[in-house]
Amino acid sequence: MNTDGSQAYGKKVGSIALLIGLFFTVLAGYGFYQGWQTGDARPMMSWLIGVAFWMSIAIGMLFITQIWHVFHARWPTIIRRQCEHGFSAFPILFVLFIPLLLVPFLHENPGLLWKWMNGVNELPGHGTVGEDPIFTWKQPYLNIGFFTARAVGVFVTFILIAGLLRKWSFDTDTSGDINNTHKARRLSSIGLFICAGAATIGAIDWFKSLEYHWFSTMYGVWFFAASMRAALATILILSVILAARGYLQGILKQSHRYDIGCMMLAFTVFWAYISFSQYFLIYNANIPEETFWYNIREKNGWWPISMCLIFGHFLIPFLILLWYKTKVVIWRSVAISCWILVFHTIDLYWNIVPGKIPADNAYGYTVRPFTVEIFDIAAIIGFGGLCIWGFCRSMNKAEPIPVRDPNIENSLNYIE
Amino acid sequence: MSKTHAIIASFPDTPSLYHAAEKVRDAGYKKWDTYSSFPVHGMPAAQGQPRSKVPIFTFCGGLTGFSIGLSIVWFMNFFDYPLIVGGKPFFSPVFPFPIMYELTILLSAFGTLGGMFITNLLPQHYNPFFESDTFLEVAGDRLLIAIEARDSKFDAQNTRQFLESIGGTDIEEITA
Repeated sequence: MNTDGSQAYGKKVGSIALLIGLFFTVLAGYGFYQGWQTGDARPMMSWLIGVAFWMSIAIGMLFITQIWHVFHARWPTIIRRQCEHGFSAFPILFVLFIPLLLVPFLHENPGLLWKWMNGVNELPGHGTVGEDPIFTWKQPYLNIGFFTARAVGVFVTFILIAGLLRKWSFDTDTSGDINNTHKARRLSSIGLFICAGAATIGAIDWFKSLEYHWFSTMYGVWFFAASMRAALATILILSVILAARGYLQGILKQSHRYDIGCMMLAFTVFWAYISFSQYFLIYNANIPEETFWYNIREKNGWWPISMCLIFGHFLIPFLILLWYKTKVVIWRSVAISCWILVFHTIDLYWNIVPGKIPADNAYGYTVRPFTVEIFDIAAIIGFGGLCIWGFCRSMNKAEPIPVRDPNIENSLNYIE
Repeated sequence: MSKTHAIIASFPDTPSLYHAAEKVRDAGYKKWDTYSSFPVHGMPAAQGQPRSKVPIFTFCGGLTGFSIGLSIVWFMNFFDYPLIVGGKPFFSPVFPFPIMYELTILLSAFGTLGGMFITNLLPQHYNPFFESDTFLEVAGDRLLIAIEARDSKFDAQNTRQFLESIGGTDIEEITA
């Protein structure tokens, strides 16, 4: 195997990704600046969508790695290393998230993106945020200081746990120390709970609190399910690319791809189960405080998007993934992974963008319409470039596969 | 006189059984099987077996369950005896979803079970193989390949020689 060749290739890809990433991040930053000047929240949402997209992939990779550790999974050992390279995205994403955290402190309207951060922001039909009893009641949780502390805490948690798992795994390459495997397993057993908490807090703070009136106990699980789907799709595309052009040539087998495909099917069902249950409970209970969240997602162009999610994000990938051939024929599995990633982005839009904007009509508000802005695309491509750069940089720091891991042979010889 | 049902040959260990199976497959036999008391990884490929047909039964079962769930709720709540419950519409795909979902699961499980029975030709209470003591030892440590007489390539003499040539021992003709 030509490791040097693929390392040089990786470096080249990394530099290109960095250039593209910087260019598009600057473009997204220009949008952010414009929004800052004009007091428009939409470009800030582009930034949030970009971070959320790559964040969900990194979180999903962190979860799946810990699940593999906890269950002592043998087959994914060669893929686990790729996830560990993916962990290098966390610090980058933290840096990218800081501009959003600065808005409440530096902007004249602290509630520009998260409207509850400013008491004088208008609430359609309810006066202002400051006069709102629901806000007063939620204030011990929803206040700028605690919010910032939580955001920092969430990122530090992810960076720490991911960093430790990565460090131990890389250390096994040189020392061959079995204790690293035991330590990773012990950390993962508690880390899964900690990460579940952190991901839930993140999802509630960053996405759900955009419309803070809303209640849903399933929101954290939705974010987990969505993250897992995005991560599995990314892992599949990544492994196929590395098997075609990089260091997984001849190592990645059909059985590995098949198993990732099976998990993609499982999490497609899980995502649908969680998303539907959330809708179903709110539909049946029929309480205005909850139903409005779905109601605004039927207005102003969001109805087709909602339908799009049901059919495009669940039914079609579900039926296609049921089919054995989808999971073993390379181009089909890559195609369905890309499909899932596209609809995952739409899912994020659907969760982030719609919101009530005060307006002079019978309802007293309009819903922010579904639009794909240039800055959305810039943020997704830009942050992606930076994350891929981080991945390529990490690739040079360790063996392509964990060569001295106790389970490496089981992974290399894995048969369905 | 009874006629030949199959010829069985034993193999000493799993790798030799596996490689012998590949040779039987490459020789073009169709009506044959390997027997062991434990699953051998990769054996279906070595035997050249196509993918199982059971998923088709599962899918049909699931689809039937889904449609039944949908139609009973429509029939009961919308057509036969419309009843207002909680201000909800008489029929909508949302609230009967648990019923459609549960029936999908139930009938796909039935489909899987039934499909397994049908594709395995079960239940089968008698098989000439049971007459052979050698064959019954498969429940212990014996590894077997059996080529059945209904195979178009089967020829008592040639098949016996073929099994010998690929390393089979204890070759035995089973009559029915």
